[in-house]
Amino acid sequence: MDIGNIKKHSDLNFEVAQAKRNALEKLRSRQLLAYNERLFMADANTINLVSTLKQHSKDFYVLDVNDNPCHVNDPDDFLIKLIERNQETLNAYQQLHQDLAKKRK
Amino acid sequence: MTIGVLMYCFDTPDINYHRLAERCVAQIRKYLKLEITIVTDLETFKKFRPMGMINYKLVEAKTTNTRPYRGKSIAWYNKERALAYEHSPYDTTILMDCDYFVFSSTLLELANTEFDMMLHDRVHDLTGHNMISGEDESTLPLVWATVTLFKKTTNTEAIFSMIKHVQEYYTHYRNLYRIRYPNYRNDYAFAIALHQLNLGNRIPTPMTMLADRVDVVDSDEDGIVFKHGDAVNFTSGQDVHVMDKEWCNG
Repeated sequence: MDIGNIKKHSDLNFEVAQAKRNALEKLRSRQLLAYNERLFMADANTINLVSTLKQHSKDFYVLDVNDNPCHVNDPDDFLIKLIERNQETLNAYQQLHQDLAKKRK
Repeated sequence: MTIGVLMYCFDTPDINYHRLAERCVAQIRKYLKLEITIVTDLETFKKFRPMGMINYKLVEAKTTNTRPYRGKSIAWYNKERALAYEHSPYDTTILMDCDYFVFSSTLLELANTEFDMMLHDRVHDLTGHNMISGEDESTLPLVWATVTLFKKTTNTEAIFSMIKHVQEYYTHYRNLYRIRYPNYRNDYAFAIALHQLNLGNRIPTPMTMLADRVDVVDSDEDGIVFKHGDAVNFTSGQDVHVMDKEWCNG
């Protein structure tokens, strides 16, 4: 591969990596979820935490992204909202990821 | 409880801010569906095309400030924002620059939580070149006043009173916090006020930005296409602060 092609290859890789970073920032931003006046990320950590606590108690407290306590008195409803938002953002990200994979080939 | 968007828009000899505001209003209508109040001056007000129901508040802007833009020093009428607490008719206000364009409902999620004031303290440069890091420019934890959510509380009233004080004695505070830039910037005035009062929440995700060296070449209701050097890229469904002030000129 000559230096011209290496440069093209490098530019393409930068472009793909940046598109991935931008898509991840979009995903994180869209995962912000307001619940009981508190702010949460609908990510794997929050889903796992709520899912685990739900098995032990019908209502409990969790910390939001600003370390404020939130009373969860309907864990099923909260968990459904978290999972829906999480999957909505991941579906969008998955589509872009596929497009990027095609671009790299 | 009322919630709405408050914008400040003053045309300068170099920049048609009203064009940016018109586009910004269209995006807010589509994605946030909130009432909008624009604080402007008479000259700028006359240039707005009819946009339906908008609350206008006419003021006379202070015209003593400047900013660097694409290698030039240009006029910048940004000092009225310190009066946002008085100007806002809403219980919860999304105070927004007219060059911030919403392409999602993320701000509604933030507005529906409990806080006094909330703003970004990090940025994400869409080009990947980190042109707007804001690091090593002062000894202050920087915040970005581009999008500021606030509620009418005693704490917020204190913050805005402090911002007015900082504006009045900006030279002192600039020296105190070793701020590199000599011109008045709301980002610093807000950051100083929050630091002095130990208040304010941060928006947990960074503000997506494009520096003034990046040209916006196309856009639709879902996103924008931008060009930096030879690279062309686009956004979709992502709120973005665009520092190219000329892209809405047509």
